Amino acid sequence: MPQQIRRLLVAFAVFIALFLVLRYVMIPTSFGEYGHYRGRSLEDNAAKPLQFTGNSSCIKCHKSIVEEKSRGHHAGLACETCHGPALKHVTYADTLPHAKLPDSLLLDKPAERKNCALCHNRNMARIKFRNDTVNISMIKQVDVMKHNLVDKNNESLKCIDCHFPHDPY
Amino acid sequence: MEHHFQQLYDVMSQVQGYIYPNEIDLNWSILIVLYPYITGLVAGAFILASLERVFKVKVLKPTYTLALLTALAFLLTATMPLINHLGKPFRAYEIMTTPHATSAMAIFGFVYLWYLMVVILLEIWFDYRKDMVVWAHQTTGWKSRLYKILTLGSYDISPKAVAFDEKIGYIITIIGIPSAFLLHGYVGFIFGSVKANPWWSTVLMPVIFLFSAMVSGIALVMFVYMIVSKIRKVKADMNCLDAIAKYLFYILILDFVLEALDQIHRIYVAEESFEIISLLIQGKLYITLIIMQVLLGTLVPLVTLAFLQFKKPTDKIRHTIYLVISMLILVGIFFMRWNVVIGGQLFSKSFYGFTSFKIGLIGTEGYLMASVWIIVPLLILAFLLWLLPPWKKSEELAETVTI
Repeated sequence: MPQQIRRLLVAFAVFIALFLVLRYVMIPTSFGEYGHYRGRSLEDNAAKPLQFTGNSSCIKCHKSIVEEKSRGHHAGLACETCHGPALKHVTYADTLPHAKLPDSLLLDKPAERKNCALCHNRNMARIKFRNDTVNISMIKQVDVMKHNLVDKNNESLKCIDCHFPHDPY
Repeated sequence: MEHHFQQLYDVMSQVQGYIYPNEIDLNWSILIVLYPYITGLVAGAFILASLERVFKVKVLKPTYTLALLTALAFLLTATMPLINHLGKPFRAYEIMTTPHATSAMAIFGFVYLWYLMVVILLEIWFDYRKDMVVWAHQTTGWKSRLYKILTLGSYDISPKAVAFDEKIGYIITIIGIPSAFLLHGYVGFIFGSVKANPWWSTVLMPVIFLFSAMVSGIALVMFVYMIVSKIRKVKADMNCLDAIAKYLFYILILDFVLEALDQIHRIYVAEESFEIISLLIQGKLYITLIIMQVLLGTLVPLVTLAFLQFKKPTDKIRHTIYLVISMLILVGIFFMRWNVVIGGQLFSKSFYGFTSFKIGLIGTEGYLMASVWIIVPLLILAFLLWLLPPWKKSEELAETVTI
């Protein structure tokens, strides 16, 4: 066998061996346990601290509001969609039912135009029409940069000044 | 939040008609345009080199090694725009260590590796082995050591060993031609197999990509050869340039006919996507497709090259024409990739609307970042030309030197 081929074979053997060693070192041990991914990633994700608690926790203290919401267009929305993650808030209230919540655990009360606009801003990509007619079951859209910015006295208006968020119309 | 909301508002005002929500942003931007572009340059440059080696087109000799080094320089950069786009460079190796058998992208990793290790590097190594042994002897210090390392300690440059190198190099080139086809055909395959996108989904896509790759690669080597000759202050071999121009002309015809065939087929079958695609071509892609790709990038070079097949102006005029033509083709093929990648994302799958695309100057997907991945292979090429200058390869010296 010519010398150059011998040298090349050695170089390729070293390269392949290096690749196999790297492969052995780099692939996590739990890879392929359940599928084509690192099995431990499930545990890693499960170990992350919880943030949300769900509507069933809210009803314990805010029954009237939850019932009111359940009748309106926002019935399908989770409370935490607008008010933010509430696990700490609920845990505190569960542990000390009669204590006043510290300010840091009070939830957001979003009142600005931008908050409503997250869902209701005019969006060409969101369907409004079905069979060429306006479909009222779809999410209402307005141009929040233009829609009734001020009242008669020229004072700036928020969406919630006219539309009650728990039971909007 | 305010910022994102303002951004969304700005974006929404640029959308036309009815599009689906996930079509507001283009996920594949200029870096994904560069990836098939650079890969194509590699395949094209290699095929030009193989013309000399396998098909014995001796007049192309001056560009043979240059074409190989150009292919290597661009091949080393080909995956960088992708890794840059994905933004997780430390995970990039996973495509090789844990490839998924059903992933076309994972298979590309191995096609790429095959092409790099078994075709380009080996061919260059066999081609330069004798010269590296000579240079290791002629130079001193670290450069000499570097050449010795690159030879892998194989110092035998007897006529028998050199003849063996030549023979192996020939075999590698023969293996290299289908490999080059595979490398770039694959890139077209990736786009052609996106069934949901009527602008991409055609079986002709790998073939079109391949031919446009050959066109761009040949134009690149032509361009680099002229620039390198200029820098070295030597006269470019006009016979060689004429021959390259002739092959460029033939392949450009094939490429143009194939792409025209694809479009005519679209017009003839006029599927439900036809209307939106014709609006796309007349509207958002008008400048990049009709003007840049078809007119400046294809028709002007085609007519000029056709003219040169019958009339031979003076060397100086031909040289200038070749310089301009090669640049026009390189720009034209860039816009061909642009029209495929960006064009395919501009219209909605609803077939009722268009989204807008504006590219920034800075940022990961901006012009500056993109120009980095165009400049880097040129710098690598400059380094390779310094380390392994094709013009210093000597035929006769080798036989007298022993280490």
